This record gives sequence, C-alpha cells and structure tokens, in this order.
Amino acid sequence: MSALQPPAAAGPVPFLSRLHEWVATVDHKKLGTMYIVCGIIYLIVAGLEATMMRWQLAWSGMEVLTPAEFNRLFTMHGTTMVFFVGMPILLGSANYLVPLMIGARDLAFPRLNAFSFWLFFFGSLLLYFSYFGGQGLYGMGSAPDVGWFAYAPLTERTFSRGHSTDYWILGIFVAGIGSTATAVNFIATILGMRCRGMSLMKMPLLAWIMLVDCVLILVALPPLAAAQILLLFDRQLGAHFFDTQAGGSALLWQNLFWFFGHPEVYILILPGFAFVTEIIPVFSRKVIFGYPLMVAATVAIGFISVGVWVHHMFVVGLSPMLNAIFMGSTMLVGVPTGIKMFNWVATMIGGRIRFDTPMLYATGFLCQFLLGGLTGIFLATVPFDWQVSDSYFVVGHFHYVLFGGLVFAIFAAVYYWFPKVSGRMMNETLGKWQFWLLVIGFNITFGAMHVSGFLGMPRRVYTYHADRGWDFWNLLTSLGVIVQILGFSLFALNLVHSLFRGRKAGDDPWDAWTLEWSTTSPPPPHNFDEDPIVHSRRPLWDLKHPDDPDWKYE
Amino acid sequence: MTTAPAALAPPEALPQDGIVNGKIGIACMIISEIAFFGTLIAAYLFYIGRDINGPYPQDVLDVSIAPLKVLFNSIFLLISSVWIWLAIRSMRRGRMGAFVFWWALTVLCGAEFLVGTGFEWYGMIVDDGVWMGTNLFGSCFYTLVGFHAFHVTMGLLVLTLVLVLALLGHVTPRNVEKVDLVSWYWHFVDGIWIIVFFVVYIFGNMPVS
Amino acid sequence: MNSIPPNEKTHGIELPQPTAGPMICAFGFTLMAAGIVTNWIVAVVGLTALLAGAVDWFRNANPDSLEMVAPPAREKPTPIVPRPGSVDHLLGDSSHRARIPMEIHRYRDGMIGGAIGGVVMAIFASLWGLIAHGSLWYAVNLLAGTLRSGVADLSMEELAAFSTEGLIVGIIIQAVMAITVGLLYGVVLPLVPRAPLVFAAIIVPLMWSGLTWAAVSVVNPALGDHVEWIWFIASQVVYGVTTGWWIIRSEKIGTMQNWHYVDRIGLETQRTGGNS
Ligand SMILES: [Cu+2]
Repeated sequence: MSALQPPAAAGPVPFLSRLHEWVATVDHKKLGTMYIVCGIIYLIVAGLEATMMRWQLAWSGMEVLTPAEFNRLFTMHGTTMVFFVGMPILLGSANYLVPLMIGARDLAFPRLNAFSFWLFFFGSLLLYFSYFGGQGLYGMGSAPDVGWFAYAPLTERTFSRGHSTDYWILGIFVAGIGSTATAVNFIATILGMRCRGMSLMKMPLLAWIMLVDCVLILVALPPLAAAQILLLFDRQLGAHFFDTQAGGSALLWQNLFWFFGHPEVYILILPGFAFVTEIIPVFSRKVIFGYPLMVAATVAIGFISVGVWVHHMFVVGLSPMLNAIFMGSTMLVGVPTGIKMFNWVATMIGGRIRFDTPMLYATGFLCQFLLGGLTGIFLATVPFDWQVSDSYFVVGHFHYVLFGGLVFAIFAAVYYWFPKVSGRMMNETLGKWQFWLLVIGFNITFGAMHVSGFLGMPRRVYTYHADRGWDFWNLLTSLGVIVQILGFSLFALNLVHSLFRGRKAGDDPWDAWTLEWSTTSPPPPHNFDEDPIVHSRRPLWDLKHPDDPDWKYE
Repeated sequence: MTTAPAALAPPEALPQDGIVNGKIGIACMIISEIAFFGTLIAAYLFYIGRDINGPYPQDVLDVSIAPLKVLFNSIFLLISSVWIWLAIRSMRRGRMGAFVFWWALTVLCGAEFLVGTGFEWYGMIVDDGVWMGTNLFGSCFYTLVGFHAFHVTMGLLVLTLVLVLALLGHVTPRNVEKVDLVSWYWHFVDGIWIIVFFVVYIFGNMPVS
Repeated sequence: MNSIPPNEKTHGIELPQPTAGPMICAFGFTLMAAGIVTNWIVAVVGLTALLAGAVDWFRNANPDSLEMVAPPAREKPTPIVPRPGSVDHLLGDSSHRARIPMEIHRYRDGMIGGAIGGVVMAIFASLWGLIAHGSLWYAVNLLAGTLRSGVADLSMEELAAFSTEGLIVGIIIQAVMAITVGLLYGVVLPLVPRAPLVFAAIIVPLMWSGLTWAAVSVVNPALGDHVEWIWFIASQVVYGVTTGWWIIRSEKIGTMQNWHYVDRIGLETQRTGGNS
C-alpha cells in the first residue's frame, strides 16, 4: 500500500524501494513515462547510428565503416526508429494522456498494460543483445543486417548465417505482442471507461485518433507476427515458405510484410496528428475546425491504409492492372489527409496565435509533413516510382513524413505536456533555438537527399565513386546532421535543466480546455479527486466561460 | 453574454462496469487472432498446388469419418461449443452441478481433438514421412494446423483451470461474466477450425486435374 | 464540467495494487524467445518465470481485482476561475463562433471567370505564336504536347502547322485547366486577407510558372525547350488578371452559417492570451 506513495516523512526514498515502485507499477502515468523515456533513449541510439552512416557517406570513398558494419547500422537504425522509438513514444503518450483526457482512473486492464510495457522493454533488449550474442558468420556478435523490411530470401538461412536475423524476428515479435495487447487495452479503455457525459462525439480528438490507431495495430501487427513465424520456421525448422528453390515465394514475404508495413507508417503518424490536433486549437485560441470531419477523416485513413500496401512493390513487376489499382488507392489517402491539413490551417486562420514552443513545432510539422505528403503522392505514381524507387529520394520522402512530421509533432507534444508530467515548464528560449536548429538541419539533410536520389544514388550503398556527382549533396546531407545534433543537445540540456530548475508550471499553464489540465501537475495516482462530468468537447472552456459555454453549440 | 447559463442536468452516465471492458477486450483479442490466422491461411492458399515434390495432400490427408481421423475429431471439437454454451446457461441459472458437468464434457471433447490430432500427425510424420522440411505442403500444413492446435491447447489449459477452481468451489454464479469470456474464446477456436478444415482438407485437397 | 464526489463507503478511491507479476511474465516470455537462439535451458528458465509471474498476476486479478485505497492527494488542483465576458468575438458582435470567410463567391462565378480568363489567355498565347513564330497554331500544339507523346520529335514546321488532333486536345486541356483554376480562385480569393487581385494576377501566376518550369525540365525537357518563359508568365498573368477581376467584381453571398444555424457553428477567440 505504501508503494505508490513515498513515506510522508522527509528524507530520500531508498533507491531499491524507488526501483521497486517503478518495476511493480501498474499506473498508466508511470508506465507512460517509462515508455517515453525508453523511446527517447532509443532515439539517441538510433540517431547515433544514423550519424555514423552519414559520416561514412559524407564523401566518396570514405572508409569509416566496413560494408558489413554499414549494413547492420541501417538495419538497426530503421528497426529501432520504427519499433523502439515510434511505437513506445506513441504508446507511452497514449498511456499517459488518454485516461486523463477521458476522465478515467487508469486503463481498462492495468496489469496487462504493465505486461505490454515490459514485453516492449525486454523485446528491444533482446534485439540489441544480438550485437553481443548474435553469433555471426565467424561466431562473433552480429546485429541483423537485412534491412528493416528484411526481404526474403536474403533472410533465409542460406544467405543469412548465424542468428542475427533470428534476433531481429524474436525481438520484434516479443515487442509486437506487447503492442497488440496495448491496442486491445486502449480500445476497451476508450470505449468503456469514459467519464460521465463524454459521448463518443464529445471525446477529445486525441482519444479518437488513438482509437483508430489501436484498431490499425490490431489488424496490422498480427500479420507481421505470423510472417515472422513463417520466417522463423524456415530458419529453425527447415520449412520452405520463402525458400525459392523449393517453390517458396519471395513475393509472399513482401506482401505480408507490407500489409503490415504500410499501416505501420499510419500507426506511427496518426499519434502525430493527434498531438497537433490538440495543440493547434489551444495556441490559436480557437475551437478545432470541423471536429466531425476530423473524426471521419481519421476513420477513413484507417480504412484506406490497409488497402495500399502494394505501392511498396511497384518495381517488382506485378501486372499493370494491379499497379494501377494500388496507385489509385494510395492517392485516395491524400483526400482524408488533405482534409486534416485544411482543418488545421482553418483552425489557425483568424486565431490569436501564440507561437510558444509547442505551437512552433506544430507549425513546423504542418509545413514539413505537407512536403513529405506531396512527395508521397509523387511516389504513388507508378512511372515516377519506377524512376526513383530504392533511391535516396524515397529516403528523403519518408524522413520528411516521419522526422519532419512525426518527430516534430513529438517535440510539440513534449513541450506541451512536459509541464503536466513534471510540474515544471521547459525553457522557451532553448526550445526556440532547438526548433530553428532542427528545422534548418533537418531540411538541409533530407532536402539534399531528394536531389541525390534524383541523381540516381541508391539507398543502402555504403560508399560511392567520386565520378557520380553525388559528393556535394552527400556532404550537405552530412553537414545537416551536425546542425541537428546541436539541436538535439539543446533538447537534452533543456530536459534536464527544466526537470530540476524549470519554472513551476501550475495546473494549467497553457490555458487549455481538456480534462488533463484540471488536475494537479503532476497528477496524483488516482488522477482526479472527483470523477469529472463533462457537457461538451472542451469541459474546461465551459468552466472558464460560463457565459458562453460550448455545450450550447454542440 | 450577461446572464450565466442555467445549471445543466448531468447527461446520462455511461456504463462503467468492468466486465463491459472485458467483453470489448476479448472481442479485440479475437479480432487480432483472426488477423493472425488470416495471414497463415493466406499463406496456405497461396502455396496450394505449388509443390515441386510430394507427398501431396491428396496422398496423405484422410477425410473419412474413421475414429481418430480428422473429421471424427472435428465433430468432437465443434460439438464442444454446444457443451460450453450449455455450461454457461446452467451457470446463469445458478445450477453449478450442471455447469461442472457440461464444462468437463467440453474439456474432454477438446482433449479428444488434441489426441486425435496427435495420432494424425504421428501417422503423417512416421508413416508418410511428411514434416516441415519435406515440401511446401508440409511447411504450410504443420504451421497452420499446428497453430490451431496450439490455440486449442491454450484454451484447454484455461478451461481446465476453471474446472479445477469450480471443483474447489471458487467459481460461483457471481463469476459468470468472467467465465463467459472464456467461452467466447473457445467459440472462436472452434469457429476458426471450420475455416482451417475447409482450406486444408477440402480446398487444398482437391484432386489434381 | 461538474464532478461526482468519490464513493463515501470506501473512504477513498480504489486503485489496483502494484504487482511485479506482469513484468516477470514478460521477462519469462522473452527468455523463452531467447531460448530459441541460445540454449534450451534459457527457455526452460523463461517458462518457469512465465508461470510464476502468471500465478502472481492471476491472484491479483481474481476473483476480484486486488485494490488499494489511493492516498489522498497532498495538493488539491487549483479551482478553475470563471472569467465571464472574456470571449473575444471574431467578426464583430453579430457573428459569434463564425467560420472564415463569412462571404464567398458563387462557384458559378469562379467557373465563368475561369472560362473567360481561359479564352483571353488562349487568344493572347496564339498571338504570341503568330508574332514570334508566324503561326496561330504553335501555342496550342505545344499545349497539346503535354498530353500527346512525341513532341520532342516534332520539327518547328510541324509545330507551327495546323493539326486537328492538336487543336482538340489543346482546347480540352485549356478548358479543363481554366475552369478548374477559376473554381479554385473563387474559393480561395475570399480567404486572401489583403489585395486578392495581386494574389490572383501576380503571385499565383508566378508560383505556377515556377512550378511548371521546375517540373517541365525534369518531366518533359523536350517540351521545355520550346517554351519561352517570359511569354509563358505573361499569358499566365493575363489569365490571372482576367479571372481575378471577374471573380472579385462578382457579387458575394453569405455562407450557410448566416442562415439558420448561426448559433450552432463554433469559432471563438479569447481577448487575452496567457492567463487571465
Ligand atoms: Cu506505404
């Protein structure tokens, strides 16, 4: 009983009981925090991996890394970023925020929630253990080197000796079970645990988007698990699923993987949408534009995104008919995404915008995600895709979506909710410096990648000849990384500094409208002293402006 | 703008009953299981008729009604869905003796299915020499049927646990909603078997033209 | 938002008790997975941990969830202070929670304006062909070349010659583009805060020309060789001026929000920023 609350008497809590408090916790806020902290640590790890690759590629003929090391780095970079940075940060923020926003005390299944977190945690450790225990070709540790989508038959035992690919399978499999269980948990929570008065159409949009996100996880992650099992059986039991010499098919892996892989990018970006959807109205001092349309667009994105996976396989040589169908369905995603874009902008139009750091990041998200979305439309076009597929153009494109989009949205969220989590504000000046450094560094790095891609540079090459004309653009890309590192360092500095020295935040520093701002910062273990009752989508607005409440208009 | 609004009557409260969450949770879990089996089934369908060496399904699979063959076992498995439904019905009416009887019958039928599958596999592995690495049919068959059998095993473990607890008197009609969730899972395991059976033993077993 | 006080019988709020069961379960499961690539003993240890954790978990959750009473919060949340009268109305007092723009052009006007602009632009461009290349058909053939294949192979003479197919394709492209852009102008111009005509006549044509220039040099360089960009920009400006002028002078109509549901559509700002 004392585990949740440190003894009232003064004096530091012993380290071990502190540790036990975190290890045994089933509290959604503690688990959410652990998810996010792990996600940020892996963000640093994966960022360093990328930095090493950029060092190697900064100029033609560099010899910083061996080809084998390079292959491991891009595999681990991609895998880590998707599964151990994107997923934990999105699940962690959902963990922290969803119960608070819907006025619940915890998730529907708190113990299952803890189980999911630890599966993610140990699964990620298992993957990284491969660096020591992977038993590569010569019995040395060896990380996976097959790319984050691990195309068969390269992953078959014949071509991938040792255990590195098995570690890739198992680490992600374990973490994936955790994610699926969390999705189950969130759907039950959002459908069954809302506070009194909160009908579905009065939920904060973040809860709506997370609901759709979890449905996507539910249908997209099990197929990956199944595909990984098939691969594992191939490698361990001698099955022939992807063994082309026994009639197996490399194409099946591609279909199965991308049936997961495309929804996965939406699973990652939807929480980004959720963050900016909550942040933009507050800093524009206006209600979100077109709430029902936002809901509809989110659901539409969910549906469409499970029917577009073949666009990753245009260069495989499928029938023109199939290519055309999937080109059409892919472009269709642009419609609901465009609706969201317009709604965010329409929310800002006429608003009294305050460009505090969270809003800066949200605006940066809008611009950069738009660019990534546009190159996405390019790539959806079959002939264009044939030209640039597997080139640095594609790398530039998805980094605009996932870095310029998702990571910027994550920073917006961190700056926005940090006061709620820690009780202290983050430093605005450092935050703004970080923002501009990141914007500049990011656009230099990934903008230049589009050009080197156009010039024909394939992705995943560990070096290139001097006569290709790629040196300048690669140098630019690598120089941008230095600017980004400066930005990230400022973030780390800001985080640590604000945690101990930040200005006291109070309960509601941004004058916001959703339920999490009605409790203390940080919230008590039971979230709310009294169960909230809401009458509109912006319960705190109703309290602050009783003369002009929202419920009159909904 | 000048007058404060009249106090609102609080809207209807939403159900906050934990068991509603349980139902949603189990339903979601079943959806994810369907996605999982859907993938395995897709792989099975994809590889039908693509073997480059035998033995082929037509040589190995026996769909006669003979005891301990697959059709026989399937009947046991499918009928257990009826028993578990009867068990829950008895529990709802407070008749715990009947509950234990039907529940135990369910466990027995499930166990028969597993044993039957074991015999079938033994025959295939030892007599026909088909295993994972033999050919694509072997890979697909043991993966799909094996994962289904694995789910039956998991279900049986949970069913047995409930049975033991019931015999020890720890299960009362008060727990009926929780126990009902177990039956949902069992129905899913049975339902998915109908599809697996159709795919493996009928569709994948058509005479080669 | 109001709130319900916690159940008085329980003397507090119940929360699930902390337990390490799930963590041990997860650890065991991971070890079982690791057993596949290390040693079967690891898997056995994993299974043991999994079972141990599961028992603990089960005992926590059954027959009823083990709960503990949450300690009362040391800090109470700051009460939310009502601030009546602090809502700023966006567009004067008549239109509360309005959507911008309040008044729009008819779609019809946008399309008609686009069509007129398209005709004027076509005449202008054909005149350019006549002056610069001595042929009325040069411009339309070039335009048709964006859809028809093989422009690169055409000689100057062929480009200047009359071609029925070129004329039909060119007219279709011109009509579709002109009317669509006109429609977009009609929708967008009411949103432009200052000097919509400058936006319509100069900014958009320049942006469009820049985009076309950048795209054509990649997508269809052969076509790009034939275009004289000063004239291209000029004809875009001609279109922009005509269409923009037509739309701006056309009558505006109020959006639906001015009709029945004024009260029901939401948008508001607050007079003060930070905290008030
Ligand atoms: Cu995709």
